[in-house]
Amino acid sequence: METAAPESGTTTPVHPCASVHKMVARKKKAGACGPEGSVSSPLGYSAIPVKFSEKQKASHYLYVRQHRVRQDTQSTWPPNRTLFVLNVPPYCTEECLSRLLSSCGAIKTVELQEKPELAESPKEPKSKFFHPKPVPGFRVAYVVFQKPSGVSAALNLKSPMLVSTESHPVKSGIHKWISDYEDSVFDPEALRVEVDTFMEAYDKKIAEEETKAKEEEGVPDEEGWVKVTRRGRRPVLPRTEAASLRVLEREKRKRARKELLNFYAWQHRETKMEHLAQLRKKFEEDKQRIELMRAQRKFRPY
Amino acid sequence: MGPAPAGEQLRGAAGEPEVSGLALEGVSKEKATSRKRAKAERPADGLLQPVKLSREELYKEPTNEELNRLRETEILFHSSLLRLQVEELLKEVRLSEKKKERIDAFLKEVSLRIQRVPSVPEAELTDQSWLPAGVRVPLHQVPYAVKGSFRFLPPSQITVVGSYLLGTCIRPDINVDVALTMPREILQDKDGLNQRYFRKRALYLAHLAYHLAREPFFGSVRFSYTNGCHLKPSLLLRPHGKDERLVTVRLHPCPPVDFFRPCRLLPTKNNVRSAWYRGQGAPESASPEPPTPHYNTWILQDTALDSQTQLLATVLGSAQGLKDGIALLKVWLRQRELDKGLGGFNGFLISMLVAFLVSKRKIHATMSGYQVLRSVLQFLATTDLTVNGISLSLSSDPSLPVLADFHRVFPVVFLDSTGRLNFCADVTASTYHQVQHEAQLSMALLDSKADDGFQLLLMTPKPMIRAFDHIVHLRPLSRLQAACHRLKLWPELQDNGGDYVAAALGPLTTILEQGLGTRLHLLAHSRPPVPEWDINKEPPKHKDSGTLTLGLLLRPEGLTSVLDLGPEADQPEAADFRQFWGSRSELRRFQDGAIREAVVWEAASMSEKHLIPQQVVTHLLALHADIPDTCVHYVGGFLNALIQGPKEISNTGEEALALAVRCYDDLSRLLWGLEGLPLTVSAVQGAHPVLRYTEVFPPAPVRPAYSFYKHLQERASLLPRPDKPCPAYVEPMTVVCHLEGSGQWPQDAEAVKRVRAAFQLRLAEVLTEQHGLQCRATATHTDVLKDGFVFRIRVAYQREPQILREVRSPEGMISMRDTPASLRLERDTKLLPLLTSALHGLQQQHPAFSGVARLAKRWVRAQLLGEGFTDESLDLLAAALFLHAEPFTPPSSPQVGFLRFLYLVSTFDWKNNPLIVNLNSELTAEDQVEIRRSFLAARAQLPVMVIMTPQDRRSSVWTQDRPSAQILQQLVILAAEALPVLEKQLMDPRGPGDIRTVFRPPLDMYDVLLHLTPRHIPRHRQAVDPPAASFCRGLLSEPGPSSLMPVLGYDPPQLYLAQLREAFGDLALFFYDQHGGEVIGVLWKPTSFQPQPFKASSIKGHMVVSRGGELVMVPNVEAILEDFAVLGEGLVQSVEARSERWTV
Repeated sequence: METAAPESGTTTPVHPCASVHKMVARKKKAGACGPEGSVSSPLGYSAIPVKFSEKQKASHYLYVRQHRVRQDTQSTWPPNRTLFVLNVPPYCTEECLSRLLSSCGAIKTVELQEKPELAESPKEPKSKFFHPKPVPGFRVAYVVFQKPSGVSAALNLKSPMLVSTESHPVKSGIHKWISDYEDSVFDPEALRVEVDTFMEAYDKKIAEEETKAKEEEGVPDEEGWVKVTRRGRRPVLPRTEAASLRVLEREKRKRARKELLNFYAWQHRETKMEHLAQLRKKFEEDKQRIELMRAQRKFRPY
Repeated sequence: MGPAPAGEQLRGAAGEPEVSGLALEGVSKEKATSRKRAKAERPADGLLQPVKLSREELYKEPTNEELNRLRETEILFHSSLLRLQVEELLKEVRLSEKKKERIDAFLKEVSLRIQRVPSVPEAELTDQSWLPAGVRVPLHQVPYAVKGSFRFLPPSQITVVGSYLLGTCIRPDINVDVALTMPREILQDKDGLNQRYFRKRALYLAHLAYHLAREPFFGSVRFSYTNGCHLKPSLLLRPHGKDERLVTVRLHPCPPVDFFRPCRLLPTKNNVRSAWYRGQGAPESASPEPPTPHYNTWILQDTALDSQTQLLATVLGSAQGLKDGIALLKVWLRQRELDKGLGGFNGFLISMLVAFLVSKRKIHATMSGYQVLRSVLQFLATTDLTVNGISLSLSSDPSLPVLADFHRVFPVVFLDSTGRLNFCADVTASTYHQVQHEAQLSMALLDSKADDGFQLLLMTPKPMIRAFDHIVHLRPLSRLQAACHRLKLWPELQDNGGDYVAAALGPLTTILEQGLGTRLHLLAHSRPPVPEWDINKEPPKHKDSGTLTLGLLLRPEGLTSVLDLGPEADQPEAADFRQFWGSRSELRRFQDGAIREAVVWEAASMSEKHLIPQQVVTHLLALHADIPDTCVHYVGGFLNALIQGPKEISNTGEEALALAVRCYDDLSRLLWGLEGLPLTVSAVQGAHPVLRYTEVFPPAPVRPAYSFYKHLQERASLLPRPDKPCPAYVEPMTVVCHLEGSGQWPQDAEAVKRVRAAFQLRLAEVLTEQHGLQCRATATHTDVLKDGFVFRIRVAYQREPQILREVRSPEGMISMRDTPASLRLERDTKLLPLLTSALHGLQQQHPAFSGVARLAKRWVRAQLLGEGFTDESLDLLAAALFLHAEPFTPPSSPQVGFLRFLYLVSTFDWKNNPLIVNLNSELTAEDQVEIRRSFLAARAQLPVMVIMTPQDRRSSVWTQDRPSAQILQQLVILAAEALPVLEKQLMDPRGPGDIRTVFRPPLDMYDVLLHLTPRHIPRHRQAVDPPAASFCRGLLSEPGPSSLMPVLGYDPPQLYLAQLREAFGDLALFFYDQHGGEVIGVLWKPTSFQPQPFKASSIKGHMVVSRGGELVMVPNVEAILEDFAVLGEGLVQSVEARSERWTV
């Protein structure tokens, strides 16, 4: 580890891998894990080993199968051309997956998701300003090939895939964070343009709704009912829960004001009994509390 | 309600999470349905549940007995809970009948054996050759030569006296006092003179001890001092075998009744002749002999043992309430460490005080124990016995001395029924003031009717280190001998029989109290402990009684003034002032033209100002008592090192925080005055720890060195460079900006977001145009660079949470339902600013708040648990120490505040109690009761740690997601371990050693350690053990042109952790100290290592293997370990797998 404070930044790169290898080797000797060769895969899936780069010894497994759904459910993915991929490691991006699987056939789309979802995400891309990309974890992917043969080819893949290679390096660690930071410093003008377009569309929508409401105002429907709105000449209470609760509360208060307290003998008696009941309840609660404290030995002042 | 034993309160240790989960859920379902069940069963799992009583039981006719009890409770106690608690406590401390029988049997044996001790023939006092070799006289015979002769005869009378007889002794250490009346033949006339009586008393005991020690019947026979008075040894006898801890019988020889003439023992009389004591010939001048009031009192005490017991017996008689009251008072004194040592406020004194109050009809025999406790505390709180003494004597005999005579020689006066003996002769004024102070605090607590008053009053120990702001140790004690000479205390030494500690204590505390003046609230001193020693050893010397410890309770108002103003130069008092302060006193001319004596202390920073008492104490002790500063160990600022910024030596960041807050004030003024915004700014509120003074390391103005960064010219921003070390960490300070109300806002959540974004953009433009500030706007906030500080302004729309909450039912009714998004928004834009301003206010009220909160947060983070808790929850914990300081006073120093933080964390019963933090005192007592009730009803839905504030009475917003039960449990365990270690370090008079010990986290519990390279840890220098050298972080020391936005919030370890938690959060927990930690601790979750059947949605990071013919999923640990290195490329130095627990 460097201890000096070099201004130039010409320090030797650190290789975190050496010690990992040692550790993994030790683990191998313990031999508790299943042997590398006999990789199992659950029913209907086939496993494809995937590693970040050459340097890693152990690999994760992608579990892939053809995308299928039950009869009654709808799915927008084309069933025979879509490959469903489980357990995509966090450092594996869409481009990267597309590159790795392109050997099986031409690829139309690759979509990474948090969890399996039947429907395709909305076509309209989410705004990068208002929905920043989440930090990636392990995800699932839907890969749509041009032809059905791509899927079957992919199911037969056995050789380990490498996410980052000499020719196509994938950024991770410090390099990735720095480039993420660069991306976060964006052009405010782009944001302004996006906001303006959205608001224009929104205003248009609101204006349309208003004109429609105005047209309907006071016009009875086919059964003769007239819709009463806030905007009318005589505004009514808004239809909210809070408003109706308020009305109820006011009624209750009005009634309580009229009632006489402790006027009749039975009222008096009842108040007293109520007081006694309160005391009894309190007493029970206290006893429970004492019991608990005794159990916790809280009465020892030493 | 109060402390819970460690380990019991929250199930499951951190090592095995998940298994425990929340033990709450299962329990709440099986509620006790009937009264019978509630009574029969212990509250399951140590958890309180709401009581349910059937209607029938609630409303049945009351019996007479029940009504009586209810009424009694109402009159004699203030609540039924208190009554039950008091009864329970008394049951615990009272001696059982069975033990009493065993003690009685032992006493009978003792008295038999004493009678059998053989006599010895008469010999001169100075001839002690008859004493056997196996025993030493338990008294320092200085000077040795004394007239008179001694012989041993068995005692003429053996009587049990004191608390055992009265039934007021309390466990755990039961002492039985036995008075042995020495036969008249042993004593001679004039034995009261020159310690002759005490010499005989000691020889009497020595002979007894030798013979009793030969009996195998006794487990131990040892000497001790009666109440710490070293002229009066006593003999301790303990039973043999398993009963050894049962009882200690203390033998006190005493003279026959009427042997001493009382008029010889008045406080004005002298009974120790100077000529004898100083060993000179005839006194050089005819100066009158100094009176020896303490010496006289000690003899008088021996003569009155029996009569006092009788007096108490008649008063207490069969009044159980009085006895209970005395027992409670003894517990109260013991928790405050007031009852031990020479001059302690012991049980005997308090019994006599009860007797006095009975005689004055302030207490009645029918009162309950609680009422007696209350009355006595009330009396102590309002009566100053150092000014107005009291007396049990009713006689109006003119020959008796008046109270004023006693006040002249004793600091505290409480006379017995003869009017000659002062019970409080050895009590110092400081001790009494401490008692008074405690009584006042306790009365305030009782009057507040706090729910847990009992716990705080009687069950919470108040050790000195946790009760006082600063502590001073004086060591070695032999320095006090020199102090006595410097202070010219020879008569006092003569009176005290050479006990220089006792003689010097009073004058020393007076000097310090005078010198500390307005800085001081209370000065207390430890009382030398009462030693015990074997009979064949020499009695311990004064200097062996360890250390003298002083506790200072400071007044925050006057604490930081650097100037102590004296009288004007021409006043006669000026000379006294000069004499008192010595060379520190200077003549100064002030702005109003006055020329005065004054003392000026050097203190550059706030933290140094808080330590001015140290300068005062060391200066005065050296000047007046000849105690050099090497013998004064001042404990007050040791922990400051932990919150000092990197490269800082003298200040602890108060100035930096104030600078940041000032800059924020400037910015808010700019915002208010902005023109050109569609809506004007109506309020600006801080929402960042810096703006409530609780950021551990306050930010400094950023001055980036441009060559260190990559430039993004078109955005006027700096970017980090991969080939350089990570740049300095700059965290923007969040500010919430409210706009004036308007009906023009859209009523759709997505549209509101867009409009807000437009405001953020406009705000950036306007600020740049009108004030030339560098700004950067995003959709949710605008970052502003002002004077080197970066603020993150968030525009808020008041109705937005409401819009997010609206749900339209099919019938068109609009109702409000909380959603995660609405709650988050409300928390960030409404509650957080409120909390920030409330804590900002608290800081103005209690200047120590900042230090305490920062130390506490620092400690939690250093234990790698920082991310398990929200910042706000820790700040609220610290605030609770100030707002609910009972039974202490609000801390005035970070040190004591931090200790109490550890105590609070380690003892609070989170399972059964919400921590109520009454900010701005907005909650009434009824509100708090209501909060507790709703807490109990909803316990299972609430988080493990519940903190309620006036703004948040139901949901505990700040602990909603964090901490988990395991993390909280871990914190509790760590705090419970750290507290005694730290207290021991601070109470060690030789210095605290390595103060950072308790801040270093234990690493042995983690399964994997990820070692990070310091090159990419931007806050490396903040580490608990600051590195000797670190990397340049691209900052200039001189202000440069700062027009580019620095790199904001770029902290590689945090980015790395976010990735790890997202990818492997199901498999492991990650722990890291954000303040320069070099290691990330990884803890595998044991449950996730159970092989599980294949499931597509939970395959994350697992692999499928076949186990016994079945396909199961297990975590792919080898690949994951390599992922750790891949994800943190460049940051991770090595991955160290330490356990095989993950082997599957």
